[in-house]
Amino acid sequence: MRRLLRLAAVIAAFAPAVQAEEFTWAVNTDPQTMDPHAVNSAPVLGFLNNVYEGLVRRGKDMTVEPALATSWEPIGNGEGWRFTLRQGVTFHDGAEFTAQDVLFSYQRASDEVSDTRSWFAPVSDVVVVDDYTVDFMTTAPNPIFPGSIANWMIMDSGWAEANNAALPDKENGNYATLNTNGTGAFRVTAREPGLRTVLEPFDSWWDEAEHNITRAELTPIQNPATALAALLSGDVDFINPVPIQDVARLKENSDVDVIQGIEARVIMLGFPHEAETLKYSSETTDANPFADVRVRQAVAHAINVPAILQTIMRGNAEEVSQLVSAAMQGYVPALAERPAHDPDRARALLTEAGYPDGFSFGFKCTNNRYLNDEAVCQAITGMLAQVGITATLDAMPVQNYWPELRADNYDMFLLGWSPGTFDAEHPIRFLAATPNEELRVGSWNFGGYSNARVDELLPMIQSEIDPVARQAMIDETTKILQDEMAYVPMYVQPLVWGVRSNIELTQRPDDFFILRWVTVN
Amino acid sequence: MSDFPIPVKPKSRFRLALESDLFYTFKRSPVAMVSAAVVLVLVLAAVFAPLIAPTNPFNPASLNLMNGFTPPMAPNAFTGDSFLLGTDDQGRDVFSTILYGMRISLFVGVAAVFFAMVFGITLGLISGYVGGWTETIIMRTADVQLTFPSILVAMLIFGVAKGVTPVEYRDQMAIWVLILAIGLSDWVQFARVVRGATLVEKNKEYVQAARLIGRKPGAIMLRHILPNVLSPVLVIATISLALAIIAEATLSFLGVGAPPTQPSLGTLIRIGQGFLFSGEWWILLFPAATLLVLALSVNLLGDWLRDALNPRLR
Amino acid sequence: MLAYIIRRVGQSALVLLIVGLVAFSMFRFVGDPIDNMLGQERTAEDIDRLRAQLGLDQPFVVQYYKFLEGAVQGNFGVSYRQGRPVAEILLERAPATLELAMVSGVLAILFGIALGVFTAIRRDGVLANVIMSGSLIGVSLPTFLIGILLIYLFSVELGWLPSFGRGETVDLGGWSTGFLTESGLKALILPSITLGLYQMTLIMRLVRSEMLEVLRQDYIRFARARGLRDRAVNFRHALKNTMVPVITVIGLQLGAIIAFAIITETVFQWPGVGLLFINAIQFVDIPVMAAYLMLISVMFVGINLLVDILYFFIDPRLRADRSGGH
Repeated sequence: MRRLLRLAAVIAAFAPAVQAEEFTWAVNTDPQTMDPHAVNSAPVLGFLNNVYEGLVRRGKDMTVEPALATSWEPIGNGEGWRFTLRQGVTFHDGAEFTAQDVLFSYQRASDEVSDTRSWFAPVSDVVVVDDYTVDFMTTAPNPIFPGSIANWMIMDSGWAEANNAALPDKENGNYATLNTNGTGAFRVTAREPGLRTVLEPFDSWWDEAEHNITRAELTPIQNPATALAALLSGDVDFINPVPIQDVARLKENSDVDVIQGIEARVIMLGFPHEAETLKYSSETTDANPFADVRVRQAVAHAINVPAILQTIMRGNAEEVSQLVSAAMQGYVPALAERPAHDPDRARALLTEAGYPDGFSFGFKCTNNRYLNDEAVCQAITGMLAQVGITATLDAMPVQNYWPELRADNYDMFLLGWSPGTFDAEHPIRFLAATPNEELRVGSWNFGGYSNARVDELLPMIQSEIDPVARQAMIDETTKILQDEMAYVPMYVQPLVWGVRSNIELTQRPDDFFILRWVTVN
Repeated sequence: MSDFPIPVKPKSRFRLALESDLFYTFKRSPVAMVSAAVVLVLVLAAVFAPLIAPTNPFNPASLNLMNGFTPPMAPNAFTGDSFLLGTDDQGRDVFSTILYGMRISLFVGVAAVFFAMVFGITLGLISGYVGGWTETIIMRTADVQLTFPSILVAMLIFGVAKGVTPVEYRDQMAIWVLILAIGLSDWVQFARVVRGATLVEKNKEYVQAARLIGRKPGAIMLRHILPNVLSPVLVIATISLALAIIAEATLSFLGVGAPPTQPSLGTLIRIGQGFLFSGEWWILLFPAATLLVLALSVNLLGDWLRDALNPRLR
Repeated sequence: MLAYIIRRVGQSALVLLIVGLVAFSMFRFVGDPIDNMLGQERTAEDIDRLRAQLGLDQPFVVQYYKFLEGAVQGNFGVSYRQGRPVAEILLERAPATLELAMVSGVLAILFGIALGVFTAIRRDGVLANVIMSGSLIGVSLPTFLIGILLIYLFSVELGWLPSFGRGETVDLGGWSTGFLTESGLKALILPSITLGLYQMTLIMRLVRSEMLEVLRQDYIRFARARGLRDRAVNFRHALKNTMVPVITVIGLQLGAIIAFAIITETVFQWPGVGLLFINAIQFVDIPVMAAYLMLISVMFVGINLLVDILYFFIDPRLRADRSGGH
């Protein structure tokens, strides 16, 4: 039957008439809203990138390229950025795109109730110069600003106001939660949350279409085995992600291609720097060994990262020595070397720190957040046991995980971090800076790591225009974090997409699936 | 029946009849004998796992990750080690892991059913015999209980237990949480059957007589009514055992099961199903086959028991 | 009589209230919804603000009261995950689950009765014994594994049936049905087998043992003695008399089918209320969890109520006992 259909497809391909190129794809998480400013999460922003557009967008290699703005330049001596807007662009409902929409979208996206407002923390004012020129004034020089708003999507002010959606509503939802009106290459023609979302090309799109899709459908499939079965049986054309263990098998299958890349997400271990004592030790109840840098170094030397990558990750991930991967801006090649796997060294360090017989502690881990997270944590537990420190592994779903970490219920934890800005400043701001509610830094620094020099360097990195000087500061910060073993970075998670072999597409390192780069053959 | 030795110790007439009848039909049923033998072998293997298993998979320090994904009876490409049934993703010997896992599955199953049985029988007897508001409360509680999917019950108990136990006991705690969760979702059917039977029995002459001569309600329930409702309870218990072992596997699939560092058969299947498409079939096949054989044998025994205890069917 | 029914309905309402209370007391153990609603760059202040907005900073009794207040007016709140009224979502998802439950229920009843009768009539036959033992294999493996194995065999290896979802559906005045398209019917096959297997085995065994019981009753013997043909005896007389207990059990199992649909729907990505519930747990979508549990409770309590009232009419002994007991 399938063969017959395939034959029919071949015959149809030779037919001269324009034929429908339907494309279906499956992801593990449905975008929870169609509102581009309500939730700052990869599934939402990744999907909406096909529907809405920003002033700038990222290309196939993540370079920043013009989208709704044709050009941009710094104002004066770093007081802000001036964007020149593209003319003749219309929204899906036919309304014209102007500077008013930019101002409106800025107000909407930077409102207190919007999840995207941190993008605009450096912005002091937005000025509409004329219908096609907008100035973004910043509190301090901000060299990376244009790139940092690549996911900020422009919404039509008239449409949003007419439909009572002038602000996003996370709690009760509104018109924009289910409906869209962007300027992008595709428009949403049907939306059934959790079931399917149907897209059709937007005929009046300003850019030239590279794709040949006439209709696309997105379906969430949570169970990885089911998603894989759907791909293998041809029920869907594309799945993301492919379970890492199935990569080798899929590569042998001629009907299916595997597209691999290195994701931005660094997987690391974190420690309770501030805690007085261990929480879950059966004997070390009066001290916190992890406060001693030697113990943290011992952990780093005890873990055999190459073995984890070889077996659990099946050779599909790369080691990493810092909080960002080599593909990110600000990565320090000179500090690329990871602490070697050296159990003897680890034991020596433990002895030096006063724990010759090791100690026991509690290790928290997710079991549904990162690729094979539970298996990795199990392996780490075994490796630590081999140098004498016995972890009690507690692996839990992510919905229970963050509350536990916030309540400091851990002695060591697993964390994955993907810098939204693709820049080394991002993890420094969220993971390494001393937590400070007022400065809005350190909000994911659960362990309360604190280093005065890092705190001093962060604002300097943020406002340094000169790339060389900026990189020198990042180098210094990276060195401090490595020397103090603030975290133990282990590897960069791979991106693995599975696609039927008649489909051509481009994988972007941020794991966004861009429909306009898909060709169905 | 005559070749069955008469027990030395005097027993109640009921027990005597039960035993001799059971043994008689047992000997005539090859299916029952084979199932019983299989169950016995599996139980012994589980109990003596530390003596039989070549490795101790629950000791993380003894594992070598590089042994991961070794196929059965073939040397590992890196370490050269060879394993009877291969290894899983952590380099654990599948054979040893099954033996240890079966221990946990059987323990959880037996303990859960025992808990459900004691709880259900007690409440069933009381509600059937006492009646009135007591009965109403108990049976309506049973309604509430039926409403809650066992996964949610498990999650609730997990959550509460997590709040009160320190992490180093949490691995053991997971087992007790499973027992409680499965047992709690199972007691209702015991209670219902016992209550129904009690309602019928309590109006019979012999119970009325016992009441007349001044026996206490507790004694009447235990000495007179309980023995007469025991056969259906026994049948339910056997079938529940198989169900409980499977329920544990299902809970593991839904994310509340035995911890991965001390896996049960269910956890092994949950882990193994991730490797169904990737070619490491042994990680799924052997635990699944063990579970199938175990549950099937218990079910077949339950089947036989049902027929054997129902004399009218013979 | 009327008094009994009124009292029974009153008790059922009380049960529902308690279910709700227990449900609300457990939600905070499921996890924290806030993390799923805010992105990576949230601050502690954002967390507190959203928590207060959702009323999650209040004791669960207060949250429960607010839920009840809305529920009485038919308002079950707004899903944290989807930002839509929960009632709307449930109505949208219900047809999928009901159709799946119906098909697997019908399959279970048809095959269960047929095989049950067969194994009872051919009690000592080889085939009957093979069926009896073989049917146990289906209930000796966890449902999720059976589902995955069926997908592996029929979708991946053979390519006969779809691996997930409902196929194409047709909207009939708000009820989306999969019965009217080929892909919709095909999509029903694997999930309904997975879901119905357990019930089929149960019904088959019940029918068999009831049949065996009836077949040795005197009136059947007389019928045979009167020279009626086997088929007439087996079906017209014996089967008819086994139906009362079978129907009772089927009624009770209806609820179990819908509860068990959670696992089947997860494996097959079947867009019903069970999948919705599992997603709700994953994202700690409290309004959806609460409404789902209430729905299931109403169903179970309703079925129980019905069965009890039926017993009241059927078995005078129980009636005497009840009126005496209360």
